[in-house]
Amino acid sequence: MDNPKVKVINLTKKFGDLLVLDDVSFEVAEKEFMCVVGPTGCGKTTFLNSLTKLYLPTSGEILVNGEPVDMKKNNISYIFQEQSTMPWLTVEENVGFGLAIKGVDAKAKREAVDEVLEIVGLNDYRKYYPNELSASMLQRVVIARAFATKPELLLMDEPYGQLDIELRFKLEDELIKLWQRTQTTVLFITHNIEEAVYLSEKILVLTNKPTKIKKIIDNHLPRPRNVVDPEFIKLRNEVTELIKWW
Amino acid sequence: MIDNTRRSRKHGARAAVISIFVFLLIWQAATTFTSLGILMPSPLISLSAFFKSFIVPIGPYPIFIHIYWSLVRVVPFYIVGAIAGIILGITMGWYKPVAAIFRPIFEILRPIPPIAWIPIAIVWFGIGEGSKWFLIFLAAFMNVTINSFAGARSTDPVLVGCSKMLGASDWQIFTTVVLPGSVPYIFAGLQVALSSSWATIVAAEMIRSSEGVGWIIISSQETNNSVNTLVGVVAIGIVGFILAVIMREVEAVLVKWTKRDI
Repeated sequence: MDNPKVKVINLTKKFGDLLVLDDVSFEVAEKEFMCVVGPTGCGKTTFLNSLTKLYLPTSGEILVNGEPVDMKKNNISYIFQEQSTMPWLTVEENVGFGLAIKGVDAKAKREAVDEVLEIVGLNDYRKYYPNELSASMLQRVVIARAFATKPELLLMDEPYGQLDIELRFKLEDELIKLWQRTQTTVLFITHNIEEAVYLSEKILVLTNKPTKIKKIIDNHLPRPRNVVDPEFIKLRNEVTELIKWW
Repeated sequence: MIDNTRRSRKHGARAAVISIFVFLLIWQAATTFTSLGILMPSPLISLSAFFKSFIVPIGPYPIFIHIYWSLVRVVPFYIVGAIAGIILGITMGWYKPVAAIFRPIFEILRPIPPIAWIPIAIVWFGIGEGSKWFLIFLAAFMNVTINSFAGARSTDPVLVGCSKMLGASDWQIFTTVVLPGSVPYIFAGLQVALSSSWATIVAAEMIRSSEGVGWIIISSQETNNSVNTLVGVVAIGIVGFILAVIMREVEAVLVKWTKRDI
């Protein structure tokens, strides 16, 4: 890769004596959608938290655009597992929150908010407060908020882990739409293999603790993808085999 | 959903009317048929005295002037105490060094009821209005501080993390996450503080006064006029209730995002 968006070099993280990440190196290309899968408890969240410097890595380096990652300078967005809308803001204010923080002027903010609200289908709910919305709508608000700031890198940590399967499918399609429209680089963590195969351009398979990279798989299945397509199932099985720890 | 709340509100109002009516009925029966009648006036006598006091003055003024005087003492210093309490409570809740300095002192002062300060208040502020203002201030300040503190402390770390990630500075986190997140707690504190300040007025007017609802009670005690005592009690109760309702409405308008039902 000539100019990777993100370059992770020999990333290692220890909590005391506990080795969680063991010498992890990989690259994410610009505008790529990469999924990270691994067995439960393999340190996927630690992995993301190290990327955002919520945890300082024990050793190794993370470069964004060839320079050490800096949350103040790089526009990196993070979508948590937990629901994280501000209960005192309406849907549109929530979506515009990141832009307001960054001091974007009112007109540009309005346009950006309109655009993402349209894509996630929450236009009719823009004046609602979070306590009036369902869990899936709230997650849409959070995702819309992240995309509204046009992040150069979007980190997602099992954002749909709490949702039922039908909603998940729907939101996954929306996510793909947003990603295609905004050309954002996405790093998406999940323990759901089907989800990873459905969404990604590239799948990063992690091992059990201490976490290493087992394999990086290119995923060039045509879109829109079909979960019962034999090619899809073949890839899914391949990833499942890699993840098996039983 | 709206229909439901409307219906339940209607039910609530009906239940309130019935419960008050039954209470008055029992009181009436007790004073008519038992020896309690010798010790205290019946609700009929008390309530008619209350309504009469709007025309016939108690001491120098009719009842509404007394109420006015008490409100003039309570409201401004309730507001001053509340503002001071919000500022101290929130900064104490969010900034650890502020808590380290003020919290120990505050925790020792907090359990002391405002009326315990009366002798000192008189020494510091004299027997005029100053000492009354001081007591009202204390009553408001203590309650609002502790609630604002709890509000800032309960700030959701996920929301802080997410505004940090969106690039918020420390000051922006304080103003856009900590402050709005504390608002429901602050209002809970304002509500408690309002009743507490209003209740303190009786004690404050005990210091020395020639008007006010507290004065009605003190002076009726001196003249053994238990009807007037009850007129004062009813006035305090009704005004306190109205203040609480006003406060709740203010909250409903300002804080649309949370529906608390108390």
